[in-house]
Amino acid sequence: MTGPDNMQGPVRFEEIEHTADRALRIYGATWEAFLLNAAKGMNSLLATAPGRSRARKSKEIDLQTIDAESLLVAWLSELAYWAEAESLVFDQFVFHELETTRVRSTVAGATVEKLDRHVKAVTYHDLKIAKDAAGFSATVVFDV
Amino acid sequence: MIRARDFTRIDEYLYELPAGYRQDMRVPARFYADEQLLRGLAEDRSLEQLVNTATLPGIAGYALAMPDIHQGYGFPIGGVVATALPDGVISPGGVGYDINCGVRLLASRLEMEEVEPHLDRLASSLFTNCPSGVGQGGHVGLKPHELDDVLENGARWALRRGFADAEDLERTEEGGCLAGADAGKVGPRARERGRGQVGTLGAGNHFIEIDSVERIVDEDAARRIGLFQRQVVVQIHCGSRGLGHQVCTDYVQLYQKAVRRYELALPDRELVCAPLSSPEGQDYLAAMKAAANYAFANRQALAFHIRRSFEQVLAGSVANFHLYQIYDIAHNMAKIETHRLSGQTLSLCVHRKGATRAFGPGSEVLPPAYQDTGQPVLVPGSMGTASWVLVGTQASMAQTFGSTCHGAGRTMSRHQAKKSVHGHTLRRELEDRGIRVRAGSLSGLAEEAPAAYKDVDRVVAIVHGAGIAKQVARLKPLAVIKG
Repeated sequence: MTGPDNMQGPVRFEEIEHTADRALRIYGATWEAFLLNAAKGMNSLLATAPGRSRARKSKEIDLQTIDAESLLVAWLSELAYWAEAESLVFDQFVFHELETTRVRSTVAGATVEKLDRHVKAVTYHDLKIAKDAAGFSATVVFDV
Repeated sequence: MIRARDFTRIDEYLYELPAGYRQDMRVPARFYADEQLLRGLAEDRSLEQLVNTATLPGIAGYALAMPDIHQGYGFPIGGVVATALPDGVISPGGVGYDINCGVRLLASRLEMEEVEPHLDRLASSLFTNCPSGVGQGGHVGLKPHELDDVLENGARWALRRGFADAEDLERTEEGGCLAGADAGKVGPRARERGRGQVGTLGAGNHFIEIDSVERIVDEDAARRIGLFQRQVVVQIHCGSRGLGHQVCTDYVQLYQKAVRRYELALPDRELVCAPLSSPEGQDYLAAMKAAANYAFANRQALAFHIRRSFEQVLAGSVANFHLYQIYDIAHNMAKIETHRLSGQTLSLCVHRKGATRAFGPGSEVLPPAYQDTGQPVLVPGSMGTASWVLVGTQASMAQTFGSTCHGAGRTMSRHQAKKSVHGHTLRRELEDRGIRVRAGSLSGLAEEAPAAYKDVDRVVAIVHGAGIAKQVARLKPLAVIKG
């Protein structure tokens, strides 16, 4: 289980040029760090400033998928949904169960007044999660 | 990486890569370009994406791309793929997340000079009456269960609710309602996203634009369509909002399993697909049609808001301010159509991902008004530049499954555009040229800077030169409303 401070640490994503949409290269020493960095990367697209609202909201996320790539897409799609539905940008993540095809998590964040960008969808385009001695990495293309 | 030079020029504006170029291709890959656009294509991975679509099971003839081709995800934007029924595949990624993103053109009987004194107030009224921005809800409240009506009846729902004239539906692709839509195939989250967004513009590259007809190229076609020099017209560019995005997300996820079940080998997971004859294929088709109907209803509700704005601002000052519909077209859609290919008549599922249907004169699906001219094709350019009205041709029926381009096509990433263009500066430049700008987000405005796009005149000149659409009129912007 990981506590609320798990968004601290070095930024572990970078933007890759993509003609029509937005793409992020995401890294993580562990699967948990990888999912957190993916969330942080998508946050950077959604809103440049954190939510100023004092009222915080939390959501329960429970996903089971057929493989790790699908879990990554489903995880980010879930967060993108709440961003659109309630202008919620999450900065705290508690993982109750975590495998490469399963996540059960409580996520919390604050609402932003206005999102900078609409992430319409998280795509599978050329999506392949690589694993080596440094950990996990993948490039995710977002439809914006 | 596939390069433009790997293709052979087979006609003045047509390039081809034979099916033998890569082992997994089932048909040749073709795209329309001139030499200048060809050089630009080496900059991104759009041609590789085009070749990837040539591997789809059941693909008929050739994989195609229009001259506004640019890198997308899975399919290139500007791609056209037809698969043969019954067992050819349907691909949600081949339609895209914004199902039935499209363009509607409304026309007034007013000339530019009559509207000019009121343009500032018109732009502000449109910005107020047509909600825009991320996740923004609309003014159209749906009663419980009314969403099903929207999903299954599209613009017909809008007509019953008083948001449409009967003539609007006649002048909408498919009459604004795709038969066979099934609201039951649209998931709960998609419905949730769609419930409050009817009559909203959204963000990204969507816009409402007041234009004037700057130049008529084909007098006869323009007159028949209802366009004249200096006329004030309005374009709407948007789609199925969060509902369509979620339908695509849900089915792309679901199809990851279907691909395994049907043992389909694909070069990119975004190309996931299922045979049209399979339960998965039929389910997506019914859900996609429902999302497409939502988009027709959405553009119709926006048209209502736009008419209301014209009335609010112009009533009492200008006579005859009513807006009539020229046409409404989809440019992200899969449609079951009949086409001739190699001497045979085939039932095909034509995927157009950033491409416009462009049926020629005499097509039985066109309304009587357009039987002689061919279907109006609406090609918006980048913000602040020009847009075009074209008509479909017999050549588009013969060469491209009745398809043509959909816009200018990006050349610069949004990230790069934002770095090189400042929203404030762009806004000032547009306003210095007399274009009124109402935008919810200046960074969003910068991403859509004209410098980030190809020259729409060049794109249109290619489709005109290749014969897959015919130029009718060029529009220039007077006011832009963006989320």
